[in-house]
Amino acid sequence: MKILVPFKSVPDPNDATFAGEAASASKSVINPFDEIAIEEALRIRERGEATEIVGVTIGAPSVDEQIRAALAMGVDRAIRIDDARALDPYAVARILRAVVEKEAPHVVIMGKQAVDDDSNQVGQILAGLLGWPQATFVSSIEFLDNKTRARCTRETDAGLEVVELDLPAIITTDLRLNEPRYVSLPGLIRARRKPIEVLTCDQVGVNVRPLTTVLAVARPPKRPAGTRVESVEELITKLKQEAKVI
Amino acid sequence: MDFAWSDQQRELLNAVGRFASQQLNYDVIENDREGIFNHEAWKKCGSFGIQGLPVPTEHGGLGMDPLTTVAALERLGYACKDNGLLFSINAHLWTAVTPLVYNGSEAQKKKYLPGLCNGTLIGGNAMSEPNSGSDAFSLTTTAIKKGSRYILNGSKIFVTNGPIADLLVVFATVDKTRGTDGISAFLVEKNSPGMNVARKLEKMGLRTSPMAEVFFENCEVPEENLLGKEGGGAFLFTRSMTWERGCILASAVGSMQRLLETCIRYANERKQGGQSIGKYQLVASKIVDMKVRVESSRHMLYYYGWLSGHRKSVYLEAAMTKLHIADCWVKCSEDAIQIHGGYGYMTEYEVERELRDAIASKLYSGTSEIQRNIVASMLGL
Amino acid sequence: MAESLVLIEHDRQQVKRSSLHAITLAQQLGGEYELLVIGHVVNKISSSLVSLGATSVIVADDPALAEPLADRYATVIAEAVRKSGAKNILGTSSTFSKDILPRAAALLDAPMVTDVVAIEQMDGSISYRRPINAGSMFAKVKVEGERRVLTVRAAAFETPAANAAPCPIVRFDVDAESLPNGMRFISREERKSDRPDLTEARVVVSGGRPLKDKETFERLVGGLADALGGAIGATRAAVDAGMAPNDYQIGQTGKVVAPELYIALGISGAIQHLAGIKDSRIIVAINKDPDAPICQTATYFLVGDLYQIVPQLIESIRRA
Repeated sequence: MKILVPFKSVPDPNDATFAGEAASASKSVINPFDEIAIEEALRIRERGEATEIVGVTIGAPSVDEQIRAALAMGVDRAIRIDDARALDPYAVARILRAVVEKEAPHVVIMGKQAVDDDSNQVGQILAGLLGWPQATFVSSIEFLDNKTRARCTRETDAGLEVVELDLPAIITTDLRLNEPRYVSLPGLIRARRKPIEVLTCDQVGVNVRPLTTVLAVARPPKRPAGTRVESVEELITKLKQEAKVI
Repeated sequence: MDFAWSDQQRELLNAVGRFASQQLNYDVIENDREGIFNHEAWKKCGSFGIQGLPVPTEHGGLGMDPLTTVAALERLGYACKDNGLLFSINAHLWTAVTPLVYNGSEAQKKKYLPGLCNGTLIGGNAMSEPNSGSDAFSLTTTAIKKGSRYILNGSKIFVTNGPIADLLVVFATVDKTRGTDGISAFLVEKNSPGMNVARKLEKMGLRTSPMAEVFFENCEVPEENLLGKEGGGAFLFTRSMTWERGCILASAVGSMQRLLETCIRYANERKQGGQSIGKYQLVASKIVDMKVRVESSRHMLYYYGWLSGHRKSVYLEAAMTKLHIADCWVKCSEDAIQIHGGYGYMTEYEVERELRDAIASKLYSGTSEIQRNIVASMLGL
Repeated sequence: MAESLVLIEHDRQQVKRSSLHAITLAQQLGGEYELLVIGHVVNKISSSLVSLGATSVIVADDPALAEPLADRYATVIAEAVRKSGAKNILGTSSTFSKDILPRAAALLDAPMVTDVVAIEQMDGSISYRRPINAGSMFAKVKVEGERRVLTVRAAAFETPAANAAPCPIVRFDVDAESLPNGMRFISREERKSDRPDLTEARVVVSGGRPLKDKETFERLVGGLADALGGAIGATRAAVDAGMAPNDYQIGQTGKVVAPELYIALGISGAIQHLAGIKDSRIIVAINKDPDAPICQTATYFLVGDLYQIVPQLIESIRRA
């Protein structure tokens, strides 16, 4: 079985950057949900159900560090679609469709959303474009019937839901699917010998332009700073008389 | 002169920072209070690759050059708040692993280095004795050859990693009359008959790094565990000390950087008299001094690493680097507490621990006085 | 021809109230709008929607649609949109709409904007405001194309008035044979709870890691919620530690809530958690650390030991 894992490079949400040398510090990481997807693919391979894991990302050469991190975790090879434009989920999914058609994986596993854009669309759009079954927000994956089907548990607003998908299919990962391993230094050194294939949109035969444009980005208005109360009685009085909420 | 990291170095350093900040900073306050060594974190460091940084790849290491190694340790110190864990790693690297790399037989390297690199084995050394500290070569522990074994007798103090070590490099004399030329080094495994790890020593700082007294009473060591030549111990010790001095405070530079950033953040957030305390020159000037100390320390550290990697003599530079960083670290930690005021004195702010951890840097691997003596002698004084 | 089509979510024969908020966006966008209900045996649901100002309630009712399988639902939505000619396809952000609507967007070759909180009309063009980066920033975006799919944050739009003259209910015929068949519903594990739904509750009490274990969590967080007739939420750390089930998680990747009163017990206020509570009217934080970021966001905060304060609070509320 071959697994394709699309991943995105995002600003480090924990911002654990080394300010000591601004020039050398990387402020980007693999999107945490995609990291969970990579980890899941590795575990599937480790239990003998997959033979190859291919990573794919879209971006300028500056994302190579995240590609090598994915390779260091254990991804076998990677593809970078060389496109530095600000893409929207609409365009990303169409580029990924071309990669899926080229690579013909049995399953695509990817994060449910990127933590910078928070759109939560690409996996579902990709599934729609390909006409493949999908399971979103997944917290467990099991392959059945000689890997022709996948049984997935989904985390929904109402609770856990179990669905079965015929393969090939798209699976998007939620937080509790697994805890990703860390990139080790020996892994990083091995990653340097693994291939990164760089392709343009032309080379994979896709001509797409984003339909969403970000016009402006602004900070939300701050809530006024809180009032400290000293006792339970004072809190209850405030809630009753000032806030009129109880 | 090129101050830039290569892409590969940059990736390695970022990986270290990310690993350490996510994997090593739990239970630090509690472990410090109780004096608990974080063995799980040690194993993680091993599987991540820290203990193998300077070890050749054929022995299970990463074969990094000295400059990359000290920079990686600096980043480790920046991202990991458990200075005791880092001290244990440093002791392991510079007093057990490096002597093995440089002086070990092929059989010894094969037997021990892979485990020492991957986190399954913990190393340390036993040099200081109750009556010989900085005057290291006046040691009295003896090693008498008997057939195919050496019989060790004597006692060692301040043995870092003593309570947890799987392998100790023990210095003893094969012949007191030969003075320095009698000193030899031995690889002594945990639970060797006649070796007794006595009490764990309570200490002011670095409390998560266990230290013990170790006694040898007719402790039998097979002759193949002689490290280097018989009588070669002093040379071996001096060489490993040079490594140790140059590298042991790499992580301290990272710690200082972290402290500096903590202080800048605090000085910007904390308001007194209607403005951030950072706007007061008395506070700002302390932070500026911290910054200058961090930068000067870093440059000395990198210069040491560069020289060492180019196989140039580093005897003087190692001593100066150690002396300077130790002074800076203590001063920075003290200033950090002062900037934080009463909060800085409180355990949960994790600033006071830094001072307790920093102070020993003026004592271990040769006191600051010894480093000054070395520098003075190299200056022809 | 309707300008907008709004997807209505339902659960156990009840309309999900929060899914009605998207109707308010349809009203702001102007023009006529239709409501779409998909499911099996949904008469009661569709008849409860007739006075919300829509031109019609479209009902796709078929045994094949009994469970919300994304491939089938997206197909039905795309067909309904093509038939109605709607330019805006709307829903309220939830795991239901996030699962299905992007797939429908793919079938319609339309772009999509997630989590809209406001629109701005200028010179005949419309831009949408949406939170990004765990709500730490807002982006103003515009979209091209003939059609667009939009989901709204329930908290940002009012519930629409239900006082219009009843509209017709129109049956949308589904050819079950032609629907995709690659996904199968197996089971759903639903917890029965007497407490209100988290996303619709007037009061939400939630807890963080300092609650220690499941029992303490239930005693303090649950106890206070019950005293106030509220719902229970939790931080990611509390969920990860097994103190509360997954679907209690509030934040960037969990649920977004905007109750009248939000009470945070032992929550420091990581940005990912604040992302899910920012629109609450009153936020109360009870915490041992006065410097915790939540104290900057809270309306009121009380510093002290949860184990003492919360029982006192429960007691005082019950007495009142």
